Amino acid sequence: MTRNTRLPAPLLTRLRDAFGRDTRADLWNVALDEHAKGYLDRRNLLKYAGALGIGSALGVTGLLGSTVPARAEGKPGGTIRVGLGQPTAAFNPVLLTDSSSIGVLSQVGEYLILDDAENGLVPQLALSWEANDDLSEWVFNLRPGVKFHDGRDVTSADVVATFERLADPESGSSALSAFRGLLSKGATSAKDPLTVVFRPDVPNANFPYYVSSSVVATIILPADHAGDYEQSFIGTGPFRFDSYQPQRGISFVRNEEYWGEKALPDRVEIRFYDDQQAQFLALKSGEVDVIPEVNSLTSTVEQDPALRVLAVDSTRNDTIHLRTDSAEFKDARIRRAFALAIDRDAVVDGLYKGRALKGNDSIFAPIYASSDPGVPQRNRDLAEARRLLGEAGVPNGFKVTLTTERAYSIPEYSVLLQNQLKEAGIEIELNLIPQDAYYGKAVFGESPWLDSTLGITDYGHRGTPDLILNATLRSDGAWNSAQFKSAEYDALLVDYAKARDLAAQREAAGKIQRLLLEETPTIITYFNKFIRFSSRRVEGVRFTAISHLLLARAWVA
Amino acid sequence: MLLRTFLLRRLTTTLVTLFLASLLVFAACQLLPGDIGRAVLGPFAAPEAVAALNAKLGTDQPAHLQYLRWLGGVFNGSLGVSLSHGQPVAPKLWAAMAQSAQLALVVVGLLVPLAMAAGIWAGLRKGKLVDRVILLTGISLATVPDFVTALLLVILFSLWLGWLPVSGPPDGAGAAETLRHLILPALPLVINLFGYIARIVRAGVIRASEADFTRTAILKGLPFRIVLLCHILPNALAPTVAVLATQISNLLGGIVVIEALFNIQGLGALVAQAAKGRDYPTLQAGVLTMVVIYGVVTLLGDLLQLILDPRQRERPGG
Repeated sequence: MTRNTRLPAPLLTRLRDAFGRDTRADLWNVALDEHAKGYLDRRNLLKYAGALGIGSALGVTGLLGSTVPARAEGKPGGTIRVGLGQPTAAFNPVLLTDSSSIGVLSQVGEYLILDDAENGLVPQLALSWEANDDLSEWVFNLRPGVKFHDGRDVTSADVVATFERLADPESGSSALSAFRGLLSKGATSAKDPLTVVFRPDVPNANFPYYVSSSVVATIILPADHAGDYEQSFIGTGPFRFDSYQPQRGISFVRNEEYWGEKALPDRVEIRFYDDQQAQFLALKSGEVDVIPEVNSLTSTVEQDPALRVLAVDSTRNDTIHLRTDSAEFKDARIRRAFALAIDRDAVVDGLYKGRALKGNDSIFAPIYASSDPGVPQRNRDLAEARRLLGEAGVPNGFKVTLTTERAYSIPEYSVLLQNQLKEAGIEIELNLIPQDAYYGKAVFGESPWLDSTLGITDYGHRGTPDLILNATLRSDGAWNSAQFKSAEYDALLVDYAKARDLAAQREAAGKIQRLLLEETPTIITYFNKFIRFSSRRVEGVRFTAISHLLLARAWVA
Repeated sequence: MLLRTFLLRRLTTTLVTLFLASLLVFAACQLLPGDIGRAVLGPFAAPEAVAALNAKLGTDQPAHLQYLRWLGGVFNGSLGVSLSHGQPVAPKLWAAMAQSAQLALVVVGLLVPLAMAAGIWAGLRKGKLVDRVILLTGISLATVPDFVTALLLVILFSLWLGWLPVSGPPDGAGAAETLRHLILPALPLVINLFGYIARIVRAGVIRASEADFTRTAILKGLPFRIVLLCHILPNALAPTVAVLATQISNLLGGIVVIEALFNIQGLGALVAQAAKGRDYPTLQAGVLTMVVIYGVVTLLGDLLQLILDPRQRERPGG
């Protein structure tokens, strides 16, 4: 946690005074106190303001100094050319999952709230939001005067229809996994044309994240949207659709009717590539300006004066699961020994050249405001690992098979683990299989991901830890590959979801973090930064850790 | 009479091959792990979302029903609808074929004159320095994989010199622009095939120039130009035609690596992508098209060979 960017005392007082008397002010004051004490850095304070829905009301972004480049920095005009992978399916905001489609739809689609990598929750089509005391009801006030690209006004009817569609199991929407147990069909209603009310199934202080860009399918669509999105590409975004050639590319032009500051570029042209190498060659030869990261080439790009590596912090990680009901890992001491044998610094510095943050075996990454920084960091301790193995009755170690996907840098990570664990006497046999095969049918009994004794799975960035905490470790979690069953953990999750102020959230988080260190059903040794490559021809390219590509403030230098 | 039997036989074999290929591709798809809904929506999608999509696409039905439905569609002239993109397969397929054909045309346009000239020259100078140089160069070039040659050419001509673009032609490009975009993708294939074709031509030229009819023609006092054009070349080229036909059908069938590297949305790229996304209708249509192309081009090659070399018509079973 960075502690060197504290706000001056007069500004803190101003921030405190600026807000009227209601529950949110108290919550906000707790956060300001934490910041004053140095427990919460500037960026996390800002993010927290977003979660409370008071960021825009207070003008917090302005007071704290935004990192978003002001319009004066860029010059209007020009075309930004982007290379993306081939989308895996037809463009459909309701089913949206793949990163290329997210990049494309970011040009036209907008959310109630944007979960921005640097500024946390930034109001987009919602101006402000607020929950009642017991978190059973969330009220969202919509931004007036927003129009869809076809000229129709955006009203609460459109927002209600969007969320009702997403929460409908029949729709098959990609938001269903996030909404399960939290937002059901029938829970969203309109109070007036510019006010939407959500009544979640259970209280959750992080609810705004679930209706933000963090759940990528929540793009606000017209109420009468009936599928076949490729006919219109209608949204509210800073660009509007121009032309589309399936499998080749798509282009957008500036939306002159946009509700906010008009986009700087005249056009955005996106080309699709089957092959990462082709994508990289296109960037290198100047045919495109921005491409996704190519794992093995980051160092090369860093050394190229014509290119740059852009990075945002994320909670993207490769989680190791140890099946707690297996013969090898049923003893928690063995699981702890396994984690203690790993040299995290070697992984972060060697494998990722520092482009990652050290993990502490739970999803509570330093970038979540609610993570408890007081929980001690687990580091390599071979002597303790050997001691624990001896205590658990396996002083000479044991053999185990690691099943994982042949994707990203997981194979290299696996080999690194294999070498490091050998020093503690644990011999790992690698079983690297194609990604499809690893996930299998993604249900227990038919998926190496969920069934293997020891496995590594790639998890993308999440704006809030809840989804991962619920899905991967709760006793009935759909992705509980560690088969971790703990009533204590399940109860702590409820406390965490209910906790409203930051201090309470952090307290619950700290308990979860300590319990997971003790039990070690999963091991997370790093959180990768989310990276894009760009040419120096363009400036102001921004993106989120879940692949949204924000080009409205980009310009050709 | 013989020609008709030949044609009939070849058509029947092509049809049987097509049927078997469709069956094989279908079976192979079924054996792949995971399912279509899951492939489209990703591993973290909710099970009900996957089920809803599979039901919508009909991919939750038994394999044989899916196969029969697809086969019925083909007989009705419909290649079906892409499972991952929801669009009809046929237009995508024709567009991909056009892309592959453009590339193949440039390759053949460069390869045939170059390799033939080199082969004829080497054949006529058998054992001389130039013959050995051509043979050795051809063999050496063929041993370098085309994607390696491609990368070296890209580094030289695109990244260093900046003369040629690294991607295939953009939409709506004119003939000159298209050619400029296709030279770099075509060159590695030309370089790779050059030695092979040149060797076949050389062998044919040597065989024909050592044959009795050539000797007689020379003894008759015919000018060398006439001997070459009327006696050596027609006899030397017949076997070359068959080899070229096979290579051209390979080119039309899609060169996955080259297409991927130069971002050309040809048949190879289409099939590779369909396989990745479990898009059976596109995959099957793509593979079947490749089989048809292979059948038709080799058939044309054989016919051309029959025309060039009348002796083959006499061969039983020709």
